[in-house]
Amino acid sequence: MLQRDFPASESSAHRITRAISIAVLMVLVCLVSPSQATDYRSSWFVVESGTSEDLLTVEEYGGQIWIFGTGGVMLNSADNGETWSNIESPTQSDIHHSDSGFGSILVAGESGIALLKSGEDSDWQNISLTGVSRINGVALTGSQSAIAVGDDGGIYRYQGGAWESVSLALDLDMKGVSFYDESSGVIVGSEGIILFSDDGGETWDYREAPEGVGESSIVGVEFYSPVRIYAITEDGRILMSASNVVTGTDVGYVWTLVEFERHYPPGSNQYQQNPSNLGVELSSIEVVTTTKLMMTGESGYLSISTNGGTIVSQQINPLGNDSVFNHIHMLTGFVGIAVGDNGAILWTEDAGVDDQVGFEVINFNDFDNFVDYSKDMLFAGFIATIKIVVFGIIMGFLIGVSLAMCKTSPTSMKYMVERFDPKIVRLIGIIIAGWGLYQFYVAVPKISELGLDGIENIFIPVGEPGAFGRVLLGIGLTFVGVLFMTNDGKFSKLELKGFKLNPWGVRPLNTIATVYTDFFRNTPLIVQFMFIHFGLQLGRLIQEPAQAFLEESTGGVAQFIKDEFLNDRAYISAICALGFNSGAYQCETIRGAIQAIPSAQMEAGRSIGLTYMQTMRRIILPQAIRICIPPMGNEMVNLVLNSSLAMVIGYAELTRQGKLITAVTFQMAYTWGMVLVSYFVITWTLALLLRRLEESTRIPGLGMTGGD
Amino acid sequence: MYSGGVHAVRGISFSVKEGESVAIIGSSGSGKSTVLRCINRLIEPTEGEVYLKDEQINTPHANINEVRSRIGMVFQSFELFPHLKVIDNITLGLIQVRGMAKAEAEKQALEVLERVDMLDRKDAYPGNLSGGQKQRVAIARSLAMKPEVMLFDEPTSALDPELIGSVLQTIRSLADDGMTMVVVTHEIGFARDVADRVVYMDEGVVAEEGPSSIINEPKTERMRKFLSSIHDED
Repeated sequence: MLQRDFPASESSAHRITRAISIAVLMVLVCLVSPSQATDYRSSWFVVESGTSEDLLTVEEYGGQIWIFGTGGVMLNSADNGETWSNIESPTQSDIHHSDSGFGSILVAGESGIALLKSGEDSDWQNISLTGVSRINGVALTGSQSAIAVGDDGGIYRYQGGAWESVSLALDLDMKGVSFYDESSGVIVGSEGIILFSDDGGETWDYREAPEGVGESSIVGVEFYSPVRIYAITEDGRILMSASNVVTGTDVGYVWTLVEFERHYPPGSNQYQQNPSNLGVELSSIEVVTTTKLMMTGESGYLSISTNGGTIVSQQINPLGNDSVFNHIHMLTGFVGIAVGDNGAILWTEDAGVDDQVGFEVINFNDFDNFVDYSKDMLFAGFIATIKIVVFGIIMGFLIGVSLAMCKTSPTSMKYMVERFDPKIVRLIGIIIAGWGLYQFYVAVPKISELGLDGIENIFIPVGEPGAFGRVLLGIGLTFVGVLFMTNDGKFSKLELKGFKLNPWGVRPLNTIATVYTDFFRNTPLIVQFMFIHFGLQLGRLIQEPAQAFLEESTGGVAQFIKDEFLNDRAYISAICALGFNSGAYQCETIRGAIQAIPSAQMEAGRSIGLTYMQTMRRIILPQAIRICIPPMGNEMVNLVLNSSLAMVIGYAELTRQGKLITAVTFQMAYTWGMVLVSYFVITWTLALLLRRLEESTRIPGLGMTGGD
Repeated sequence: MYSGGVHAVRGISFSVKEGESVAIIGSSGSGKSTVLRCINRLIEPTEGEVYLKDEQINTPHANINEVRSRIGMVFQSFELFPHLKVIDNITLGLIQVRGMAKAEAEKQALEVLERVDMLDRKDAYPGNLSGGQKQRVAIARSLAMKPEVMLFDEPTSALDPELIGSVLQTIRSLADDGMTMVVVTHEIGFARDVADRVVYMDEGVVAEEGPSSIINEPKTERMRKFLSSIHDED
């Protein structure tokens, strides 16, 4: 027989070393987890334009796409932007702006040039404004009517083949105009001016810009719908006007500045928090839906927001970052075109949203390619799984041990009161019973307010969790109170028709632990995951106060907790859900092991004067934990396998990564096979460790030995 | 007295003087062990009073842990703590209950181990000891707490015959040193030689009580029958 006879001091040093090495290992596992190393690629395609002129505006007209630019250049594509032909232009002047609608297309620009085409086969009609240096914006209000704006308060209305000036005695520069239909339109300009017309541009009302716009110029506007107008400023801010159903305010009256929450740089997750502006001079805005916006600007700026501008994501510009984009136009919600200086044309079929894959075709049937693509994601999932498993096991074990001790606790009602005078106990009983009845008094009206009938009543805990808790508390308190009130110091049993009840034998801790384990063992884990994460939002409930609490601290541990746990709510929820659930099962395993220790061990401990808790901690638990290592191994393997359910709450563990990989590669056999192998590696390693632990903690001279 | 729904013992009343050793004998199920366990309240007597040096110990107000630490108990099946080495079995109570420093506790543990002649196995685990050795360690564990009285619950009945001697020798030497003891035993010869007084129990009551000489000359018919049945077995 192998003897393990270390001197006592050495063995405790040995234990400390082991604890430290385990802690270090866990920290390492957390640290090696890769930081978002995903590659992003632009989904904008570069299209050959055949010109080096600056392209300034793009329009869709007559089933074709038209681009106009400096020197009067006109490009046109009849094949959805694939090829472009340079068509003969009636002008040499730069064309800055265009509008189409009512069967016509109107372009305008430098030196008051304005060209109108009404009908696909008609020629360009020169309707240039004389004496105007430059037209800053045009909008059609009919097939032969339009509004143009220019510097120094210039607002011009084209009607019946002639321009007339709409004088407002304003000498501000008008920078943009947009009409929703033939009558409603908006003009924007320098110093935050906003003008609104309801009569096709004949008269214009001044509308107040939101505070904060100040002296900035509003450089572009799109009257998207009767409920929404968006405008952009030269200093990179977005204005919005919406109709308000509640106050009955029409669109265009009330303007607000969009508050940016996040601004993502191209191809990165490291966003800028609450920027005051987008940091770039915007050149155009395209409203795709009421809340989906796309913007262009200087310095290669292309961006999208799908929530009305609150979160803006810059898109990767395949041309590099110094090109200037002048105009963006979306043909559908996803297909669009952006034009820029030096003949730049970009085309997207995915709203320009950065793609994680890139364009080149990867043959995922080739296992080498497949592994190259998927290994990082799988490895990240592998680490993520190990992390929730490790912390889930620790949490589950702590809960399990506590519950098992509650369940085996001999503290009964009798034990709690026997040392007190029966009169005092009766008095306390009256107070407790009164308190219990008060709980009903508070809870019952709330529950009846729910108006549930018959079987619907099982959902009371969902409708009124507080009141339901009070009812449970009320039942418990009333029971305890009535019991105390009947105390005559004899603690006798009740006997009803031969059926014996011993209310004094009720063990409160055991009852509480039983309710907990019954609840967690009788509901599916996947539903627990969803309830805890989405219903209770436990991740958020823990994350927010914890962040606030640790905000000031910069110590190593606090920083570790902040970085490791508090960034990801799903991570917190996943650990909690796994820990709570596993705790309920581990409790039963540990309880079984505690009960397997001969009761004489407890007697022996007590008879040398140890308290119940001391005996539990020093004598019963050390033996019980050793006994339950094999069944605990089962429990831990189960926990690893159950951790795959964390995918439903969006935690990026192995199974979810597998799902993401198949979504891109469609390689079901490769992906799920590799996920299987990964799980096997985790559980098998765990089983090996447990076997090792079982051997190293074996008590010499006890149990079966296979011969060393 | 009353335990577990069956009246195991009733109307028992006896006292043990300081330095006296009392043997309780009787057939199986006569309530010997129950009486012993009532003394340190491993079984809670439903009625009656137990005193240790004029202090009633079976009231809810008594600090039972403190009381138990003054009463040593040796079990039939040893009940050593199998996960602890011999020496740690002994120091556990000293450190946890008496609040001794580890070094001091070990010193005291070595003394009692020497007394029961187990010093050479101090670093063994209980699982690697023979039954007699285990019981001697168990005695040492109780002894280390410096108890005012020691309770022995059939200390030899789980032992092989050839191992009994060493344990009895240890108990005998304790008695010789003046330790107050209550021994529940089947070893009639041992009771006769070591005990100052013998209590014979039958069916939950004290049937006969007196100096150890009553074993040789029992007054009651029941005790005579019991003694002769034991001799038949021998």
